[in-house]
Amino acid sequence: MAGHLRLVDVVKRFGAAVAVDGVTLDIEEGCFFTLLGPSGCGKTTLLRVVAGFHLPDRGEVYLRDRRITHLPPHARGTAMVFQEYALFPHMTVEENVAYGLRMRRVPAAAARERVRQVLELVGLVGQEHKYPHQLSGGQQQRVALARALVVEPEVLLLDEPLSNLDAKLRLRVREELRDLQRRLGQTTVYVTHDQEEALALSDRIAVMNAGRVLQVGTPEEVYLRPRNRFVAEFVGLANFVEGQWVGPGRVQAGRLELQVDDGGSSGRKVLLAVRPEEIRVRSGPPAGSPNALRGRVRSITFLGSVRRCTVETDGLQWVVDVQPDVRLQTAQEVYLEVPPHRLRVVEEG
Amino acid sequence: MGRLGVVAAGVEARRQLADPGLALAFVGGAAALGLFVLYPTVRVLLYPTVHDYLTIPQSVRWIQAARNSLVSTVLSTSTAVLVGLAFAFAITRPDVPGRRFFRTVALLPLFAPPFMVAFSYILLFGRQGLVTRHLLGLDVNIFGLYGLWLAQTVAFFPLAMLVIAGVLESVSPSLEHAARNLGADEWQVARTVTLALARPGIAGAALVVAISVLADFGNAVVIAGGWPLLATEAWFRLEGMADLRGASLVVAMLVVPTTGLFLLERYWVGRRRYTTITGRGGRLERPPTYPPLKWAAFSVCALTSVLVVLIYLGVVAGAFTAVWGRDWSITLDHWRLASDRVTSLWASLRVAAGAGLGTAVAGILLAFLTSRPVPLRRALDFLAVLPGALPGVFVGVGFVLAFNRPPLELVGTPWILVLALAFWHLPLGYQAAVAQLQQIDRSIEEAASNLGARGLHLLRDVYLPLLARAFVEGFTVSFVRAVTNVSIAVFLVSPGNVVATFAILNMIGNGIWGGAAALTTMLLLVTFAALAAARVAAGRALRPVPAG
Repeated sequence: MAGHLRLVDVVKRFGAAVAVDGVTLDIEEGCFFTLLGPSGCGKTTLLRVVAGFHLPDRGEVYLRDRRITHLPPHARGTAMVFQEYALFPHMTVEENVAYGLRMRRVPAAAARERVRQVLELVGLVGQEHKYPHQLSGGQQQRVALARALVVEPEVLLLDEPLSNLDAKLRLRVREELRDLQRRLGQTTVYVTHDQEEALALSDRIAVMNAGRVLQVGTPEEVYLRPRNRFVAEFVGLANFVEGQWVGPGRVQAGRLELQVDDGGSSGRKVLLAVRPEEIRVRSGPPAGSPNALRGRVRSITFLGSVRRCTVETDGLQWVVDVQPDVRLQTAQEVYLEVPPHRLRVVEEG
Repeated sequence: MGRLGVVAAGVEARRQLADPGLALAFVGGAAALGLFVLYPTVRVLLYPTVHDYLTIPQSVRWIQAARNSLVSTVLSTSTAVLVGLAFAFAITRPDVPGRRFFRTVALLPLFAPPFMVAFSYILLFGRQGLVTRHLLGLDVNIFGLYGLWLAQTVAFFPLAMLVIAGVLESVSPSLEHAARNLGADEWQVARTVTLALARPGIAGAALVVAISVLADFGNAVVIAGGWPLLATEAWFRLEGMADLRGASLVVAMLVVPTTGLFLLERYWVGRRRYTTITGRGGRLERPPTYPPLKWAAFSVCALTSVLVVLIYLGVVAGAFTAVWGRDWSITLDHWRLASDRVTSLWASLRVAAGAGLGTAVAGILLAFLTSRPVPLRRALDFLAVLPGALPGVFVGVGFVLAFNRPPLELVGTPWILVLALAFWHLPLGYQAAVAQLQQIDRSIEEAASNLGARGLHLLRDVYLPLLARAFVEGFTVSFVRAVTNVSIAVFLVSPGNVVATFAILNMIGNGIWGGAAALTTMLLLVTFAALAAARVAAGRALRPVPAG
C-alpha cells in the first residue's frame, strides 16, 4: 500500500555538490518519521524539498497520491517548525499563531477559537499578547509548534526543533512533543542528528549519510539490527570485529575464534558488531560459555549510569559497559563473555 | 546594578583615573568636547536675548522661511525615503537584475559636494538646460521648490537606502520561508513580513533624511532662488547684513527640529528595531522576489540611476562647453580659469586632511574612554554624538561666535575650519570606533592586563592595532565630507584660506558656470584620488589585523 507521503528517487544538487542522492521513502499516515544523520548528510535539504523550498532536480513527491513536486510552498499543507523557529518578531504570540489562518482567510472569530485551542494544547495560555523576544527559548519553541499545528497540516515538518534548548528542557519538550503527536495522530517528519532523540521519538527512522538513505526501520531495528557499519556506529556505540567465516556459525578474527548465531559460507569475509552493554565482564573464567575471552582492563571511565571500560583480548580492543557498582581496576585480568546471538553480522562479502 | 554595584563602579571609576595616562586622556577628551562641541552650541543659543527670541513670530520673512523649510522637508524626505526603500529592497534581494550596479550608483551622491546635484540639474533641466531647452524645447524654471525637491531627493536617498538596507539585510530569510510555508502568497509575504519588518528602518531613515534636508545648505543656496529657507537665511543675514544676532536666531530656530528628530531617532526608533529571534540554524537563501515588486523596484532604481549619473555628466559637460546655452563648442578655457584657483584645491585638501585626522583620533580616544567606567561617561557619550543633530550652518555660526575674540581668537586662521569640521564629523569617527571596540573580545584586554599592561599601554598595545579599521573609516568619511563641505566653510573661510567649494559657490553665484563646472570636476578627481590612496594605505594598515 502506498504511503501517505511518498518520495520517489529524489535528487537535489547545489552546483556540483549532491545534497540528496536518489532518496525513495514511504511514510504512513500518523507516523512519526525521523530523518537521522550527521550534519551535511542531506536530511534538512530533503525536508525542504518536501516543504517546497527547494525544487528537486529529479524525482517526485506525492502527498495522498497527489503529485506535489512542483507546487509552491503555500499550497502544500506541509507546515514546518524551523530550527531557529523563524517567529515573526513584529507579531504577538497570538498573531504569530493566527498567521496561517489569516492567510487562509479563516473568519476572525473561528480563527481566535482555533488559536486558543492550540495554545492550550501547547500550554501557552496567558502568553497571547507577548512578543517573541519576551519569551524563553522553550516558549518560543512552543509558539513555533503551535503556529504550524494550527493550520492542521497534512504533514508536520520539524527541522531539529530541540537543538536550541538546553539539555534538561530538551528532554521535557521531547516527551511533550511525542505525546502531542500521538494524541493528534499527526503525520510528522522530524530531522535530527541526535540518535537518542530519534530512538525516543520515532515510529520509524531513516538513517542518512552523504545524501543517501542507508536503512529505514523501527528504532529497535536500526539499533539492534544495523545493516551496515555506518548505521551501527551512528546509532549508538558499537564494537566491530573483522573476520572470516571458517565454518557454520564460526568466525575467525585474528587469533580468536568466535561463535555466531548467524550462518555464513566458509571463506567469506565478515564484519560483526556488538554493543558495549551486551558484553558481560567476569573476574573468573565463565563455565560453559561459548565466547569467553581472557583480557586485561586498559582504562575505565565513570559515566554515572555505567562504567565504560576498554578491555584488550589477544590484540583486540573491546569497549564494555558494566554496572557502576562493579569495581574494576586498570590492568586487572578479566574474562569477557560475548553472547553468540549478540554478535550481529553487519556486512558480508 | 544594585547599590553595592554602584559603589563598586564609583571605586572602579576612581581607580581608572589613578592611571596618569588615562587621566590625561580623560581631561583632554572632556576639555575638547566642552570647548568645541558644548561651548559653541551654548554660545549660539545664548547670543540672542529673550526679547530677540520673542520677536521671531513677528518676522514675516522668518515665518515664511520656516514654513518653506517645513514644506521642502516633508516633500523631499517622503520621496527620498521611497526611492531609498526601492534601492534598499533591490540591493538586498538576490534576484533583482543590476543590483550591484544600483548599489554603486546609489553611493555616488555621497561623494559629491552638496550643491553639485542642484548645480548639475540647473545645467541640464534649467531655463538654458541641455535636456529641457535644447533637446525638448521646453522653457522650464527650475529655481524654487520643485528644483530643490528634485535635487534633495537625489542627494539624500542614499542615506535612506543605507539605513533601510541595514534593516532588510538583518531580516532572516527563514521568516519569509515560514510565511510561505504557512500559506501566504508572495504579495502577502512582502506585505505582512518583509515590508512590515522594514517599518522601523523606514521610520529611522525618514528621521535621518529629514535632518539632512532641513540642514541642507548647498542645494538650497544654489537652486532655491528667491525662496527663503532657514538654512540659507542664516548666511544671508551674516554675509549680507553682518547681522550676527539674526544669524544666531535663525540657526537656533533650525536646531530645535533637527535635535528633536535626532533624539527621536536615537532614543525611540533606534530601540524599536526588531531583534531577530534566531538560534543557530542552516541559513536558507532568500526565496524568489514577487515579480511585480521586483520590477517596480527595478524601474525606480533604473530611473534614479539615470538621474544620478546625469549629475556627474552634467558637470563634466559644463566644464568643456564654451558658453552654456548658446555656444555648444568644446573648449578648455574653463580649465585655465579653474587652474587660477587651484590653490583653493590644495587648501581644501589640507583642511580635509586635518579634519579627518582630528575626527579619527578624537573619535577613537573618546570611544576608548566611554568604553570604561570613567566619570561622566554618559555625558561624554552624548556630547560625542550631539554634533550629528547640529546643522552645518549652526556649527558655522557657533564657531564664529565662540572664537572671534581672545583668548581663543581663531577666526581668520585655517584652524577654525579644521576644528569645526573635525568636531562636526566627530559622531562618524566615534561611532565607528565604538562599533570596533564592541567587537574586540573583552578577554583580549584581560589577557593583556593579566600580562601586565595597564591604562594607556592597553590602548597602545592592544587597542590601537585593532582600531586601525576604525581610524581609516573615521578619517575617510570625515575627509570626504570636509572636502565637499560648504555649509560650515561659507562662515569660516578667510581671504587667505579659500577652499574649493567656496570658490565654486562664488563662481556659480557670479554666473561663471563653465569655470565652476571645471573646478568641481577637479575637486571630484582629487577626492576620488584621495579615496583611492586611502584605500591602498588602509589595505596596508589593515593587513596585520586579524579578522574578527
